Amino acid sequence: MGADRRSPARRPGGILRGHGRRGLSIGFLAALFGVALFAPLIANDRPLVARVGGRFSFPALGDLFRFGANTGDFGRPEINWASPPPGVEVLLGTPLPWSYRGIRLEETLEPPGWRHLLGTDALGRDLLARLVHGARVSFLIGLGATLAAIGAGLVIGATAALRGGLVDVALVRLMDVFSCFPPFILALGIIAAGGRGGPWPVVAGIALNRWASMARYVRGEVIRQRSAESWEAARAAGAAGPRLLLRHVLPLLSGPLAVLGSFGVVHAIILESGLSFVGFGVDPPIPSWGAMLAESRATLDAAWWPVLAPAAALLLTLAALGAAADHAGETRSPAAPLL
Amino acid sequence: MSGYLARRIASALPTLLGITLLAFLLLRVLPGRPGSAGREEGMVSAEAMARVRAAAPAAVSPAAGYAVWISGLVHGDLGRSEHDGRPVTTVLGEALPWTLLLNGTALLIIYGLAVPFGLLSAAAPGSRFDRLGGAFLIGLYALPSFAAGLLLQQWVAVRWNLLPLQGPPDIPAGAGWWQAVATTLAHATLPAVCLALSGWAFVARYARAVFQSALGRQFLTAARARGLSRTRAVAHAALWAAVPFVTLLATILPGLAGGSVVVEQIFSWPGVGRLYLGAIETRDTPVILGLTLLSALLVLAANLIVDLLYAVVDPRIRERLEGEPSGGR
Repeated sequence: MGADRRSPARRPGGILRGHGRRGLSIGFLAALFGVALFAPLIANDRPLVARVGGRFSFPALGDLFRFGANTGDFGRPEINWASPPPGVEVLLGTPLPWSYRGIRLEETLEPPGWRHLLGTDALGRDLLARLVHGARVSFLIGLGATLAAIGAGLVIGATAALRGGLVDVALVRLMDVFSCFPPFILALGIIAAGGRGGPWPVVAGIALNRWASMARYVRGEVIRQRSAESWEAARAAGAAGPRLLLRHVLPLLSGPLAVLGSFGVVHAIILESGLSFVGFGVDPPIPSWGAMLAESRATLDAAWWPVLAPAAALLLTLAALGAAADHAGETRSPAAPLL
Repeated sequence: MSGYLARRIASALPTLLGITLLAFLLLRVLPGRPGSAGREEGMVSAEAMARVRAAAPAAVSPAAGYAVWISGLVHGDLGRSEHDGRPVTTVLGEALPWTLLLNGTALLIIYGLAVPFGLLSAAAPGSRFDRLGGAFLIGLYALPSFAAGLLLQQWVAVRWNLLPLQGPPDIPAGAGWWQAVATTLAHATLPAVCLALSGWAFVARYARAVFQSALGRQFLTAARARGLSRTRAVAHAALWAAVPFVTLLATILPGLAGGSVVVEQIFSWPGVGRLYLGAIETRDTPVILGLTLLSALLVLAANLIVDLLYAVVDPRIRERLEGEPSGGR
């Protein structure tokens, strides 16, 4: 490496390398996470604030906590917000006045334009709204499954390393068994066994698959660092069990686990989109990026934009996650683990 | 060496048992009774249902069921498909060659492109080729295989009409063997390229790292100092670094096996992956179970072979492992 003392932004091609790229990708991911979390407040056919019969109501807010369930509006009389009846007044709409499930057959396959920024799909649904809600599904499944896998991997890996003996042998054997099943096939098998319905079989399938590699890594690290003096001191002071794990194991492993975690989210998002693509992901009409790609397949001859939006979203997100993980690996641990 | 071989195989046996146990637990014990497929839709008459129930093993305890299943397994009997009544082994045997063809071609593409790429970018780190290639690889790694598949189909097959769109090759009767091979390869190319993409990025990144550490070795500096040409020095380094690629095979194989489910679905390829999806849709438990088991066993076998190859190639590893009583990883 040559000693280039210019700031990253001034080096040739600099902003996309070094810390500029990391900042860019982490900023992008944070923004995306915000979008994913608050999707119903960003794209919704119900307004944020309305006055119904003299009282304030917040119709969009109710959708915020409804995740995964096949939104059960069917029994409830829904106000027609596009042309409100007398006594109903829309005070503040969402930035995007479309929901992910609003079918409008008079606007099918419209190319990107001012009315629909990314165009509409074969059922006339706004693609940007679906993309925003799809971020919710992809991100929450990816994060949920990875956190579950890290938690299980941490507990099981540390238990194996700290207990040793027969417990260790049995747990390592269990990791071996789980890692023999190809990820996609194990996830499909769990979905086949558990039945479909909501995102939980998908999360369980991905987590059950990922925990083994996390556990193997944690076990190796704990064994490697077991003889460190800080550990001996902690154990001599009486730390054991969960306390030892949380206060003394976790901090040592937090850097590498962050790297493993970001790669884990990448894998989980790819896995989820693949499952949705072959028809075993979340139930329609809930969008996920993989499901959107699968739907766009039927009309590929007539329209290119339904493919472009989710493919670009996946590509950007995964590239940002990969770049963030790369940099975390370079700055925190000398040898980034190759997954 | 033979002692090591025996120990390594023996150490795989408990894993094998665990695999069968997990697959059975997951797919036989968790879901409902055998023969429940299609009942809800009212598609099966009571009479036919009774026939299926009579043919299926009676409801027994999971432990007894497992014993029956495993003894069948030892004799090479995986039961019969609930969909068309044919033996599962026959159904699998028809689909497996197609998947092996696809995965073999994909592996050739992965190694054939990724290793030279890694070598070239490691030989000149920081060069334009290295930087652009690195960015390209991140993009490729992030592109899901099905998105790539759709794009490849749309452009290469539909718009430019270069290669067949999908499906197994239909070889005309009376064609010569070379024509059969050419048709098969033409049909396999697009799905194999699509399957190779993600593994390709992974192996290329790995190759770059391995070659970079190999090129920094002192024996190379010494060889160069003695007047070895640059090209020959790089060739030496490449040979020295070839060993880890054997192990890498075990890492990418599960991903390939999973990826071929999606790719086979896109390209209507009559392989194991499509069979698996079809079996899940029709809830054909014996076939699902057989395929899950088969995929795990293939990965286990690949791990075993890779370990043995590794010991054959590198005597230091053999010695270290022979010193250890348990031989496992």
